[in-house]
Amino acid sequence: MRVVVAEDVMLTREGITRLLTDSGIDVVGQAGDVAALLHAVRTTQPDAAIVDIRMPPTHTDEGLVAAQQIRTEQPGVSVLILSQYIEPHYAMRLLEDHPERTGYLLKERVFDVAVLIDALRRLADGETVVDPTIVARLIARKRTADPLDQLTEREREVLALIAEGLSNRAIAARLFVTERTVEAHVKQIFQKLSLSTDPDSHRRVLAVLAHLRTT
Amino acid sequence: MDANPRSALTHRCYPQGGTVASTEIIPHQRCHNQMMKRAEPRLAAPARPGMTASRAAAARAGGAVRVAAGLAGLAVAAGALAIAEGPGRATTYAGSSPAGAAFTLSAGLALIAAGLIIRLDPGARRTGDLALLAGVTWFAPVWVAWQDGPPLVPSLAMVAGGFTFPLVVHLVLAYPDGRVGSAPARALVTAAYAEATLAAAVLALFRDPYLDPGCLANCNVNVFLVHPVPSLANAVEAADRWFAVAAAAALTAVCSARLAAASRPARRRIAPVAVPAIALAAAVAARAIALQQTTVEDPFNPALFTIFAVASAAVIAIAGGLVAGVTRARAERRAIARIAVNLSAAPAPGALQSALAEALHDPGLQIAYWLPGARWYADATGQKVPEPAARPGRTVTRLTRDGHPIAAVTHAGTGPGLEGHLGPAIVLGLENERLQAELLAQLDQLRASRARIVETADAERRRLERDLHDGAQQRLLALSYDIRLARASAEAAGHTTARAALTTAAEQTQGALEELRELAHGIYPAVLAEAGIAPALATLADTAPLPVNILSADARRCPAPAEAAAYFTVAEAVADAARRGAGHATVTVIHDGGRLIVTVADDGAARAASLAALADRVGALGGSLLIEPARCRAEIPCASW
Repeated sequence: MRVVVAEDVMLTREGITRLLTDSGIDVVGQAGDVAALLHAVRTTQPDAAIVDIRMPPTHTDEGLVAAQQIRTEQPGVSVLILSQYIEPHYAMRLLEDHPERTGYLLKERVFDVAVLIDALRRLADGETVVDPTIVARLIARKRTADPLDQLTEREREVLALIAEGLSNRAIAARLFVTERTVEAHVKQIFQKLSLSTDPDSHRRVLAVLAHLRTT
Repeated sequence: MDANPRSALTHRCYPQGGTVASTEIIPHQRCHNQMMKRAEPRLAAPARPGMTASRAAAARAGGAVRVAAGLAGLAVAAGALAIAEGPGRATTYAGSSPAGAAFTLSAGLALIAAGLIIRLDPGARRTGDLALLAGVTWFAPVWVAWQDGPPLVPSLAMVAGGFTFPLVVHLVLAYPDGRVGSAPARALVTAAYAEATLAAAVLALFRDPYLDPGCLANCNVNVFLVHPVPSLANAVEAADRWFAVAAAAALTAVCSARLAAASRPARRRIAPVAVPAIALAAAVAARAIALQQTTVEDPFNPALFTIFAVASAAVIAIAGGLVAGVTRARAERRAIARIAVNLSAAPAPGALQSALAEALHDPGLQIAYWLPGARWYADATGQKVPEPAARPGRTVTRLTRDGHPIAAVTHAGTGPGLEGHLGPAIVLGLENERLQAELLAQLDQLRASRARIVETADAERRRLERDLHDGAQQRLLALSYDIRLARASAEAAGHTTARAALTTAAEQTQGALEELRELAHGIYPAVLAEAGIAPALATLADTAPLPVNILSADARRCPAPAEAAAYFTVAEAVADAARRGAGHATVTVIHDGGRLIVTVADDGAARAASLAALADRVGALGGSLLIEPARCRAEIPCASW
């Protein structure tokens, strides 16, 4: 797998690069700002770009903007946003235009090499990646009349994995059940929560996140 | 030089009995003589009467003077009438026809009456005197024809006749303020007096009427004659006519310029005097040019008579205009006095300005108050205004009290006539409003300073959040990476104890990272600055200790201080709701007329403590915070600071 790493703090950038290299992943480009990132992606045609959300010059949301640009211009390149913010707003903004092959992970998680590799593989498979911390926070959100109360324990587990961006097959593998069982759970959950989105589409991640946020 | 064939008139025209020509206002007439008396009124200092007792005494004395002057004026007019009907029958306009008599009498009496009326106003006494004097000299050309009287009288009349025009010019240009304002106008008045004096003196001393080809009336008399020099006298008379044309042109120019430059209210005030003055100037110039052809001013000449009629009508109109101006000024003073009475009730800021504008019929009148502390001018509400400056049609009157500047009034008009109109009560009212303006200005500065404090604090919070993000958090990340590397090598080397310790260290680091993240978010949520209040409130609701329903959150952006105030209002109110055991809270944020309106309602127990810090923050931005037992509502101006 060929990857470009964009991160303005050199220590972090090199740490990530080293982890990836050690795991046999080919880091074909490193960038300290958006322009260098876009240039590296255009010239090296990587499988994925790992992008810090906050980069020069304004240190606000350059990473998000760049991610959307990459996904639009080169649909074959996955983008994994790294952030220090547990901020569903950013994650949802990222997924709005291109739900597949995009991911939002908390930065400290990438040093767990297994998590990083797993995220990159899932993106390569066309899945979405949303940091479990964000999903957990949204599920734990205090609600007046909690629609999640109608769900069984297993259904809630499946709901969380949907929100993290896993496909039915991945959920089945994670929960040690058949894919058909997962499909049944998903149908149940969407019915109980009155979600109208196609449960099999990539849009389902955003629909679930939005639902969790507004109830 | 006279254009007339001098030879034809080598003699005096009408040996006697003939009166002089000069029946009108022109500087001086022909047939004059001798020593001018100091007809040049070096006008009294601007009469700003003191007060009370001395003023009352002056008024009493003024009354007597007025009666005497009135009687004298009437006597001069009656005498002129008698002369016109007798010896002046052939040589004066007044004697030439009933219409001529009517014009002569009404114009002269109009000036005398105007003078008497204007003198009633202590501030305009000098103007009244000028009008009286002009009225008396108006009759001088008729008196020249008094050949049966003492020779001194026609001789004096020859001298006096030349001063009517300078006096009228002075009256016109000193209107309406009693002072000749502009430099060109002052130059014109000075030149007119000087020329009249010079010509009268030369003619009095060296002109023998008998040898003057232009002499028509009473050509035997000049008691001031020292030595006849006919050539000099003729030359002076010709020069005098040319000067009359030039002075008339200058008067027309000055009056036209004033009318053109005046604002509309000022023009309404000036026109009744300036327009007839232009007509008079035209008549004066026409007469001088006509005399250049005919030499002798024959009252039966239809052209000359027409010119005289125009001049008389113009003088009557000017007299009327002067009286109207004084009457109007008096009415304005009374209106101003009424303002002073109304000042007893505390007026709203700016009330004085609108009251003065109304009293003076000048909607554009503006008062700027001097703030000595700040060293700038402010309006009645304390807002800074540019230093008032005079411009065409607008005059600035600077008012002081006990030597300290209070205010500058920008008003219609051409001169500083306003200050005299404002009595001590108004000045006190102005001083009062000035103090109020000063207070309001200080209040404004205080408000701005509070806003700056909040803004600075917010900026500091943001900087702190960034520093944590880019500094401590990054270092902890690097540390956790190093710990993981160390743990991997410990594991590879089989150091189980070290591996366990490093695992604990990794967990601790992770905990520190999480706490630091929460801390940074609490200091200033990055999403608030980057994406606005709606996403920030959504995140607040995600982590709130109780269900928070955001019913509406306007996505429009406001300046950072307003958004921060709105965000922290909700955060504080939600935390307070949780403390009071509320089951849930609802939040709305809407934009309404340039304000962010934030409402947080909950179902908790009644509030015990006020949210003072919150009130301070919102108040500092010029907003308001309404605290109810289970609801709080903030209105925050969403304008750029």
